[in-house]
Amino acid sequence: MNPAPFEKYKTEDFFDEMFGNSPREPLLHYQKIFDRISRLTPVEIAEKRSHADSSFLEHGITFTVYGDEEGTEKIFPFDLIPRIIPRAEWEIVEQGLTQRILALNLFLNDIYHDGKILSDGVIPKEIVYSSPNYRREMVGIDVPKDIYVHVCGSDLIRDETGTYYVLEDNARCPSGVSYLLENRQIMKRTFPQTFQGMSVRSVELYPEILLSTLEYLSPRRSQKPVCVVLTPGIYNSAYFEHTFLARQMGIEIVEGRDLIAIDGYVYMRTTHGLVQVDVIYRRLDDDYLDPLFFNKDSTLGVAGLMDAYLKGNVALANGIGTGVADDKVTYAYVPEMIQYYLGQDPILPNVPTYLCWRESDRNHVLENLENLVVKPANESGGYGLLVGTDSTKKEREEYKERIKSNPRDFIAQPIVSLSRHPTIFEDTIEGRHVDLRPFILYGKDIDIVPGGLTRVALRKDSLVVNSSQGGGSKDTWVLEN
Amino acid sequence: MLSRVADNLYWMNRYVERAESLARMVEVNQDNLLELDNNIEVDRFWLSSFHAFHAHEYIDHEKENSAECFFLFSDSWPSSIRNCIFSARENARMVRDQLSEEIWVELNSIYHFFRSKDAEVSFDQTPQQFFQKVIRFSLVFQGLSDATVNHDEGWLFMSLGKYLERADQTSRALDALTLKEKKPSRKDLIAALRICSALSAFRRQYRGELSLRNVAEFLLFSQDFPRSMRFAIRRIDSNLHELSGVPSGNFSNEAERLAGSALATVNFTNIDAVLTRGLHLSLDELQLSLMDVGQKIFETYVMSPLELQNVNDDQSMQAQQ
Repeated sequence: MNPAPFEKYKTEDFFDEMFGNSPREPLLHYQKIFDRISRLTPVEIAEKRSHADSSFLEHGITFTVYGDEEGTEKIFPFDLIPRIIPRAEWEIVEQGLTQRILALNLFLNDIYHDGKILSDGVIPKEIVYSSPNYRREMVGIDVPKDIYVHVCGSDLIRDETGTYYVLEDNARCPSGVSYLLENRQIMKRTFPQTFQGMSVRSVELYPEILLSTLEYLSPRRSQKPVCVVLTPGIYNSAYFEHTFLARQMGIEIVEGRDLIAIDGYVYMRTTHGLVQVDVIYRRLDDDYLDPLFFNKDSTLGVAGLMDAYLKGNVALANGIGTGVADDKVTYAYVPEMIQYYLGQDPILPNVPTYLCWRESDRNHVLENLENLVVKPANESGGYGLLVGTDSTKKEREEYKERIKSNPRDFIAQPIVSLSRHPTIFEDTIEGRHVDLRPFILYGKDIDIVPGGLTRVALRKDSLVVNSSQGGGSKDTWVLEN
Repeated sequence: MLSRVADNLYWMNRYVERAESLARMVEVNQDNLLELDNNIEVDRFWLSSFHAFHAHEYIDHEKENSAECFFLFSDSWPSSIRNCIFSARENARMVRDQLSEEIWVELNSIYHFFRSKDAEVSFDQTPQQFFQKVIRFSLVFQGLSDATVNHDEGWLFMSLGKYLERADQTSRALDALTLKEKKPSRKDLIAALRICSALSAFRRQYRGELSLRNVAEFLLFSQDFPRSMRFAIRRIDSNLHELSGVPSGNFSNEAERLAGSALATVNFTNIDAVLTRGLHLSLDELQLSLMDVGQKIFETYVMSPLELQNVNDDQSMQAQQ
């Protein structure tokens, strides 16, 4: 008996989150959801969808698309079928991510101090020093609690056997957590009956934990720390998230022009004069933070901020110079870092990666471009990548030239057939590729919000899940038992 | 609170209030126009409104095929209703953490209405409903501001924005009467009252005695009518004193001094003195003094002392204490 909505559903050759590798029988932890969705009529499904969509637009849960008409806001499309992760599976993911954020932080602390991992020859020096996000200014500087990456988003994917891999780390300003939190709210509102009897782990503590992570860094112990969220402003694609987090934490959201640095301290301008700031959760890349240190033309930052930071009078989360850890060339060495610093085997494997700066790898990449994904080493948001199988010969030729002229800037990976998840369309349910971005907080403890943001590539056969490239998202459930 | 946030809240409310006043102005005028039958008269009719809003230099005859469209949808005139709604939302977006969800949802939905073609279609096909939508939005917005937001410092800045704009709009509605080529007719007087939602309140007070003198007296000096200049200025004055904690009658900054002085003017002048001096001139002076109040609020609470020093290092420093 195959109830209507799933009647024509095909898993094809992919690992399906709901069905695994079996074409018909849902996995045990998906059984209840499967039954509940199967009972819905197409009209009911359509109603729920439009209700969810209008909730997002009304509440202004939007992101801004660059390169479109200025300030175009779109909703992040939301799919009603939740992605479910059973407890045992999640525990392994959690351990793997914990291991990873520890190693990344030890690595940063090392390269900005003694550089042992470099002198021991585990990671080539030139990789680190040639990274555009390596900050010489940070050498010899002690950051609060030796933590550099306080908020990390490491993207996970699963291959055709269902094995989890880390696809990339986001150690600068990972975004998306507000969608994760809003998705849960909207899911509860539009589809409350699906939660019954599922014991889904709650995600709502995230803002609170983020705030205590920030407060933990405060240079002033004497009083309640003054923490702020620093945003580039309303035209930034993640502006909604910045205000959302500030509101949830009950702290001020500031723009560069709201802050002023005087004699090594940072203050915010208020209607009652200047107020000293202790911790800045900055959602602004290093380059824009301080025109005196970095990009001189930046009007988004605060002149003198770096001076205050280097003197230890204000803390930044994430720290300066973390970009070298999420450089996609550095990424290839994270398993070695885990071995080197922790003496452990990596729990979550990397996707095999070819580094174009190595001649043998480069030749392989140039010869096999049509079967690989090539990525710029320091872009995010899915900008600038080439999916070999989806490209034209002309595009490949052009890309080859770019690789040859700048091999350090490119890496390549085999095309992983990402797992798929049933996703609702007009009148059918079809499989679409998904990934998972968990959010890891590192303060006094390491805390990972249960699940993460499941992103789904809405275009058929597309492997690119980024919101800027037409991706959507799903509520993600980690089950208590 | 953050200085910028205070500024955003202030402007958000000014723009909402402005959108509402304009909606009523265009609605009332359009209504009156129905009884005019030639184009020259129509053009003349709008001329005084253009002058009252200093809007004539923005008119783009290519794009706006009617005066109504200009006031409602002009891209180039920053105070068109559409631009007001866009600006209000942009300010709101910068301070979303300060607003209740309800306020945001209202502002956001009127924004999407004006962003889409719906607004123009609605104006074209059912103008009455279009104006009601804008006016109702503003009233709901004000109700929510009172009912769902802490009446703290931020709220005082919102209130300041609202009443400064309201006083300004009322003065313009009155001024439009002085800018007519001919002596204002009964119809013009009724229009001015309707633009300020003041018709029934006026009738209750003056019975049938409709004259420029009475209309001006009511809109300038009424103690109790919430859109009179006096009422608005009294609110501005008390909001400012609540902000600083300094008792009314004294002042601790330029904004308070100027607001107190404007309040004294409307408290202690009467309509005969105003008419002797000239209504247009008196309104002009009041408008200018309120603009100064706005500027001094900005200098006192928004700009930091350091910047002020750079911009203007003489008397305005006294505003910072």
